[in-house]
Amino acid sequence: MTDSAQPPDDQLLAERLRSGDREALGILYDRYASVAMAVAVRVVSDRELAEDLVHDAYVAVWQKIDRFDPSRGSLRSWLLTIVRNRAIDRLRGTRPTIEVGEADQQSLLRTSANPTWEAAVQRRSATELREALARLPDEQRQAVELAYFGGRTYREIAVLTGVPQGTANGRLRLALGKLRDSLNLTDAAPLSVVSDGISAERMGR
Amino acid sequence: MTPRFACRDVDELAGALALGAVGPDEALAAREHLETCPEPHGELRSLMGADAVLAAGAEPIQPRAGLRDRLMDSVARTPQGVVTHAPAAPGAPVVERRRGWLDWLSPRVARPLALAAVVAVIAVGAWGISLSSQLGERDRALRAVANAIAGGEVAFRVDGDAGRGYVVDTSGSGSSFVVADLNPLPTGKLYELWLIGPDGSPVDVGTFRPGDDAVTVVPVDQDLSGFETFAVTVETMRVDAPTGDIVMAGALQG
Repeated sequence: MTDSAQPPDDQLLAERLRSGDREALGILYDRYASVAMAVAVRVVSDRELAEDLVHDAYVAVWQKIDRFDPSRGSLRSWLLTIVRNRAIDRLRGTRPTIEVGEADQQSLLRTSANPTWEAAVQRRSATELREALARLPDEQRQAVELAYFGGRTYREIAVLTGVPQGTANGRLRLALGKLRDSLNLTDAAPLSVVSDGISAERMGR
Repeated sequence: MTPRFACRDVDELAGALALGAVGPDEALAAREHLETCPEPHGELRSLMGADAVLAAGAEPIQPRAGLRDRLMDSVARTPQGVVTHAPAAPGAPVVERRRGWLDWLSPRVARPLALAAVVAVIAVGAWGISLSSQLGERDRALRAVANAIAGGEVAFRVDGDAGRGYVVDTSGSGSSFVVADLNPLPTGKLYELWLIGPDGSPVDVGTFRPGDDAVTVVPVDQDLSGFETFAVTVETMRVDAPTGDIVMAGALQG
């Protein structure tokens, strides 16, 4: 399997899962298990634990497929969100919950994902995506990785990296903007200029 | 206390919000702002979904060969949602909406029937329950309902275009929704259950699809006290508030 190409029939897979088709879950596993493992291992740094988390995440997809909302993102993104959130819950020693542990940011904010990000994942190889991440300035890449793989808030990132909260927040925003630009996500709205360290006082409220 | 966000706050936190790198208070404040704000917040919208790239950019790692078999074994023993489902019949007719959502909240909804009627229906086997063909979970649910009825618990009639049944309040051990001869669902649809309070606010109970049997039993984990109405809608997916047709309803008092 490849980790970068999303076959066009994930929507059909979701429908099959909703109708109780276990074979569909097997297909979903074959398609994304190695990406799910990659995310879990990055978070918990333990292969055996990561396999348990991936297993549990797939079972959660099976059990809670009725909660999947295709208008807020792809089935792949939903699965990886569950893996990531459960891994971070494990890292923190907290119990996973339906409300947070299996909800993505789109659900929590009740907004939809910009589909161009998902399109970039489908269109580009994992190597290209890694290269785009590698081109970020070190401090921005570190901030993004602490947020995504470490489950840290911008306030925690500020403490961990020894910078003001506004700087940590600005790095996240800049990093995503640069990532978007480097992947030529032309459908995305333009990012206004943000300088490192802007509004440190406001972010510190 | 949850802070109140202005547009500028949301825009400044766009990157952190897109990655979930904010505290719970900030996430809540952002959500509350976005729910009512007419501004497009294009920057936040442009960054939402960036986590897909971060996940896909991680170096793939193949799990050990046994994990797939372990998963499939687990799934074979794991029911979906709140009840074991059977596939919806393809091409089944769409149940038609009979009344508006608010209409169902009126006192005109079906009144609870006597407990004796429930006992009688089960006693004559009119619902054709085949316990031997069901999974253990369903057996336990049916037994719990039967025991509750035999023990004099409360049952409330629920009916509508999609079918008819009862909500059986087995106080102390939860409740169950028992419904007979449900209309088949169109492909991709499911039934969603709701409890509605005096203020008309619906609380999501869960979703289910009718199985092959004449009777479907759906456990209801929530305490029924404080709610006035039980309702069933047809939805495409589980939702926080009803969007689809209301196909069954009943009062929980009477």
